[in-house]
Amino acid sequence: MKFSIVINGAPWSSPSALSALQFAETVLDSGHDIYRLFFYQDGVLNGSCLCVPPQDEEDIPARWQALIESNDIDAVVCAASALKRGILDKAEADRYDKPGHNLRQGFTISGLGQLIDATQQSDRVISFVI
Amino acid sequence: MTTEISYLFISRCSPYAGQQARAALDLAFTAAAFEQKVSFVFIDDGVLQLLDRQDTQASQLKNIGKMIPALKHYDVENIYIHQPSLARAGLKQIDLPNEFKLLDDEKLGKLVATTDQVMVF
Repeated sequence: MKFSIVINGAPWSSPSALSALQFAETVLDSGHDIYRLFFYQDGVLNGSCLCVPPQDEEDIPARWQALIESNDIDAVVCAASALKRGILDKAEADRYDKPGHNLRQGFTISGLGQLIDATQQSDRVISFVI
Repeated sequence: MTTEISYLFISRCSPYAGQQARAALDLAFTAAAFEQKVSFVFIDDGVLQLLDRQDTQASQLKNIGKMIPALKHYDVENIYIHQPSLARAGLKQIDLPNEFKLLDDEKLGKLVATTDQVMVF
């Protein structure tokens, strides 16, 4: 079955993001496919490459990246949500004349249309609310 | 490219408690812009989004009340208000936009069962 997963929660503000990550890992372990991960609202913070969690806590953004890269998954952060929370790739940093960019490798910035597309292309869309 | 499917957005949070109310509207507008069949339900604390005369001047938040009429402009055809939620919030129908339809638990259940994509905010 082809899944898409919507991640609405920031990595450490609630268990939501980690639950979504565990679900995504389980989907793949069970032999299913992921069409797209869509990071929306505070969920875009999972796409930061600057998070430094304490050593005794899960590095949730790094685990997302490992999952995305080793399975070649399409991972989109919502542009409107990301920009206002300071999650930028190089193109956006240049466009808005910001001093740095922090979008993790494996993630791309795109619009809400990608979520609508995911709802059309996937057998199931699972949202992890905050 | 895009095939027409039906969407139901269930908005269950109060307008200024977080970003959920705004996120539901944004996604409904996007789905409607893709010419999909979109329905929208206000339920639980979400009915508070419908209150008239929301004044966000002092709070400096974006006025959710002013975004809701745009559902009609984006051709979101069926906009529903969950009647039991209204009753729990102590709101009377007369306070609410009259082109919005009321629905009860049974109708809501049918709507969820017959919609391709249900998204809860």
